[in-house]
Order: sequence, then C-alpha cells, then structure tokens
Amino acid sequence: MKRFLSSWTLIFVVFILLYLMKGILPAAFLTEVVIFSIYAMGCSFLIGCLGLTSFGQPAFLAFGAYGAGVYLYYFGTNSYMAILVGILVSLLLNMLVGTFLVRLSSSYFTLCNQAFCVVTFFMFQKALVKWTFGDNGLLLISRMEPTPVIDLTSPSGIYLFSFIVAILVWLFFNYLMKKSVFGATCLCVKNNEQKLRFLGYKTFNIKWLAFVIANTVAGLAGALYTVYFCMVNANIANVIGAADVVAISMLGGAGTLFGPLVGSFLFIGLKDIVSRFISHWEVLVGFLLIVVMLAGEKGIVGSLEAYLEKRKNKKSQLQPALTKEGGL
Amino acid sequence: MIQMNGQLVISAIVLGLSMSGVYFLLTVGLSLCYGLMRMISLDQFFYYALGAYLVYTITAATGSFWLGALGAMLVTLVVAFAVERLIIKRVYSKPVMFSMILTFGVNLMGVGLIKYIWGLTPKPVASPIGGSVNILGTSVPGYRVFVIFLAVVVYLAVQYFLNKTILGTAIRAGIDDAEKVEALGINISRLFTVTFILSSVLSALAGVIHAPFVMVSPEMGMSITAFAFMVVIIGGLGSIKGTMVSALIVGQVVSLGALIWAPLAEMAPFLVMIIILLIKPTGLYGSKLMTR
Repeated sequence: MKRFLSSWTLIFVVFILLYLMKGILPAAFLTEVVIFSIYAMGCSFLIGCLGLTSFGQPAFLAFGAYGAGVYLYYFGTNSYMAILVGILVSLLLNMLVGTFLVRLSSSYFTLCNQAFCVVTFFMFQKALVKWTFGDNGLLLISRMEPTPVIDLTSPSGIYLFSFIVAILVWLFFNYLMKKSVFGATCLCVKNNEQKLRFLGYKTFNIKWLAFVIANTVAGLAGALYTVYFCMVNANIANVIGAADVVAISMLGGAGTLFGPLVGSFLFIGLKDIVSRFISHWEVLVGFLLIVVMLAGEKGIVGSLEAYLEKRKNKKSQLQPALTKEGGL
Repeated sequence: MIQMNGQLVISAIVLGLSMSGVYFLLTVGLSLCYGLMRMISLDQFFYYALGAYLVYTITAATGSFWLGALGAMLVTLVVAFAVERLIIKRVYSKPVMFSMILTFGVNLMGVGLIKYIWGLTPKPVASPIGGSVNILGTSVPGYRVFVIFLAVVVYLAVQYFLNKTILGTAIRAGIDDAEKVEALGINISRLFTVTFILSSVLSALAGVIHAPFVMVSPEMGMSITAFAFMVVIIGGLGSIKGTMVSALIVGQVVSLGALIWAPLAEMAPFLVMIIILLIKPTGLYGSKLMTR
C-alpha cells in the first residue's frame, strides 16, 4: 500500500478521476483547484521537506504571472510562449532572490520572505505602475490568439492543459521527494542541518536549489493563472494570499505528495460554499490554520500515511519501517 | 530656497522620529516574545489594529482620546489573556515555525473579526494634541513630539522593568535557562503569560498612537507588517536595544527617503535590511540564534 501511494500509476489514476469529475463539479472550480494545487506544491515542499516556512509565496506566484502577462501584453500573442517566459522569468528572479534569502536561519527567512512579499506587492502596485497598471492590471483578453494542439484561450483547453502540467509536476515531485538523493538530503537539512554540514555537504547549495525549484513551480502556477484569467493585477502579490497557500499546505499535510491537491480541493470548495454566507472569509482561514496546527501538524494526507504505515507494521512485525525504497 | 529645504529636512526628521516611536512600540512586543518564549508572535499586528479601532470607538463615544487609549489597552489586555490561555500556551514547546503559522492564523482571524465588527470603510481619529512646537525655526505638530516622548518613556520603562524589578529579573533568567528558573520555584508559565500580555498591550498602544497619523482600516496591521519585520530583523530578534536602534534607523530612512523620491519610502528600508543582513546575518544586536 505504501509503495502504491508513491507510484506514478496513482498519480495518473487520481488526476484522470479528477478530470472526469467535470461532469459533476463545475470545470471552473476544478481548474482553479488544479492550478492552486501546483502553487501549493512548492510551498508544501518548502515546509515539509526543507523546514522553511514561506509567508512570501505570493511574490513568487506574481513573478511567473507578471512574466507571462508582460510578455502577452507587450511582445507576443502565443500563450505557450507566455507560460515559458513566465517560468524563465521566475527562475531567474528566484535564483537571485534565493541567494539573499536562503542564507538566513529559519525564523529570519520567514520574516524576510514576508517583508520581501510586501515590497514586491508595492513594486507591482505603485513603483512600476507605468508598466503594470497597478490594481487595474494588464488585460490580455484581446491579445491572446488561439494556440495549436490545445487551445489555451478556451476554458476546456486550459482545463486539459493544467491537468497535463499538474501530472508532470506531480511526477517530478514524486521523483524528487520519494526517489532522489536530493530529496533525502533536503529532509536531512530539515532534521539536522549542522550534522549534514559536518558530513561535508554544502547546505546552502541544497537549500538554494530547493528554494529555486519550489518557487519556480509557484511561478509556473502564476503563469497558468495569467493565461486562465486572461489578466493579471497587483493583487496577486498581496501578502494576505500567503495565508491561503500555507493553510492548504498544512491542511493537506506538508511534504506529502497528495497533500496540496487534497488541501486545495477542500479549501477552495469550502471557500466557495462559505463565502456565500459569510462575507469576511479571513475568519475561516485563520480558524482553519489554528485548528490544523493544534490538531497536530500532519494534515489529512500525512495522518493517513502515518495510519497506513502503522497498520502495515502491525501486520508484518518482522519488517522494520526503514526498509522502504529510497528515502531515509 | 535653502531655508525652505532646511525646514523640510527638520520636519522630515521629526516625522521620522515619531514613526520610529510607533515602530518601536509595535516591535518591542515581537522582540519580548522572541526573547523569552522563542516564538514569533505575528498576532501582535492584530492587537495593533484592535488598539486603533478601540480608540476610534471609545473616542467617538466619550469624546476623550485619553480615555480611549486607556480603554483600548484594557480591552486588549483581556483579549490577549484569552488568546494566550486558549491557544498560544499550547505551542511554547514546539519549534518556531509552529508558533509562526499559528499566530498568523490568529492574526488573520482577528482581521476578519475587525472587518465583521467595524466594516471596511477607513475611520478617522482626531489628533488629541493640537498646536505646534517650534524647533529651530520650523513649526512641528505637537502630537508628533508627544509620540517621540512617549516612545522614549516606554523604552526606559521596559529597560527598567527588565533590569531592575524582580519580575524582570525572573524573565531575563527565563530567557537564559527556563528549566533552572522553574527549579527555583518560579512559575514560568505565568511569566510567559505576563510577557505575552505586556507585549500585546504595547502593540495596542502602538495602534492607539498611530491612529491619528493614518486612517484606521482593517488592513492596517497587514500594511505595517513589512516595516515591523524590517525593524526586528535589522535590530536582531529578541534585543530591546537593537529594536530601538533599528526603529530609529528605519524611521529616518522612511521619512528622508520619501523626501528624495516617494517610492523610496518603502524600498529603502528593505535595501538597508538586505545590506545589514549580508554583513551580519543576525541583525545589529542579535546574538547567535538558539535553535530548538
């Protein structure tokens, strides 16, 4: 069972099932869930596998979103290119920003990250208003031309495309977290950074690379958002949004493969339902964060994995838990 | 023209000093919490906004700003006590990350509640001290001078409290070695409560005195977050003296930066922070960080 939980077949099964749910649930909702889960994946990886809590994720989302938005507004009309440009822009900026942020210890990292997010928001909203048009944003609907193979300007096209991207992201993170040596080293950084340094690893490089990977995935989600909404405005970098993504990561279970997806599904579903009755949604986000943290930080998928592990160990007492492939 | 510039610079410096006062009052709470309890209490920003709203309501009801200030601090005291007993006390033994996410949740919930109670429209609070003070031929609003004075008094009082009183000594001992302090028969959990409430009341005071400068709005706690973080990071987490020094720096950078080029007001402190962190990753007065 444990083996099945981290296999690529499960990823396909889950996403294809989710794709087919189009018949039951509105497609707009599912598209948002999938894009948001890609975004949350980066944050969840940072918290769960690296021990770095990032309250500045909206800034990294905005890098990708504005990369794609500025390309579409000023340079070209192809949405595929826009997403590619968004990824490249966020990759370059993350490499630069990571150099400064990653050398800080974890509490300073979080505070600096949030301060950085506020400054980014301010830049997009006010300082660069000539090019980004601040709160009004870049309206791209007339700038986007239909694309070949999958038409990204149509709702069903972007729906399919975001699922394909999500499956690729999940396969990548499955390899990264469960199979690769790099993922194991990241876990070591979380558990005992000093020991790892003593063993001769350059922990800065590991953290930097993980930071760049996680936030470039956030940038990819941002680029998808831009193409999906056909617009981008400064509000995407608003620091309040950081709560959503951290809440989703914690709700689903930080560092687990399907945590972000389960978290996004529940969170966005709840948000859609509750905001019909209550206008101030923050109360519930805050409440959820408190409940998830007080109930133990494992989240839904994390608790499920722990439960399965326990049952498996009970069944076969002879096999110790440490014999699983890869990992630690 | 030069005369004019000189006056501008003086009034900018005074404005910067009064901003420093607000920043100091707000971040001294964060520093105290980190210093004693090794937790980053992001819900201080909620108490800040709450203080500002309460002073608005009570001033509107009774007509006296000072009564409002007192009431705001008293109500915040009760709220902080409840939050500490219900939520925060469960996370003292957990890693810093844990308390950060949890208190961020409290902050967010608080912002939502404020929106629910007071609505979204910004509220004005009149300055309680009219008139102006003449400094080197430049007339400066009296209230700003009062804020600077108040911040200095609070700084001295906090230093006196920590260094000279029995309770303060116990708190400082708790920072060094919590277990030994407990072995001496001091109830450390009560010390934590006292520190938390003290921090929260100071944050509320920051909100109260900042209210006449700005419009009181639900997002005010969120918008000052960046500056508060810059202040604690530049000064070094957990150091009261560092907080004071960096509040002075950030206040001047903000107001003099705005004089040169308006967007600098928000960008310049960030640049200062980056430069200082590159030179000294623990901030100016920060000691080597304890990891738990």
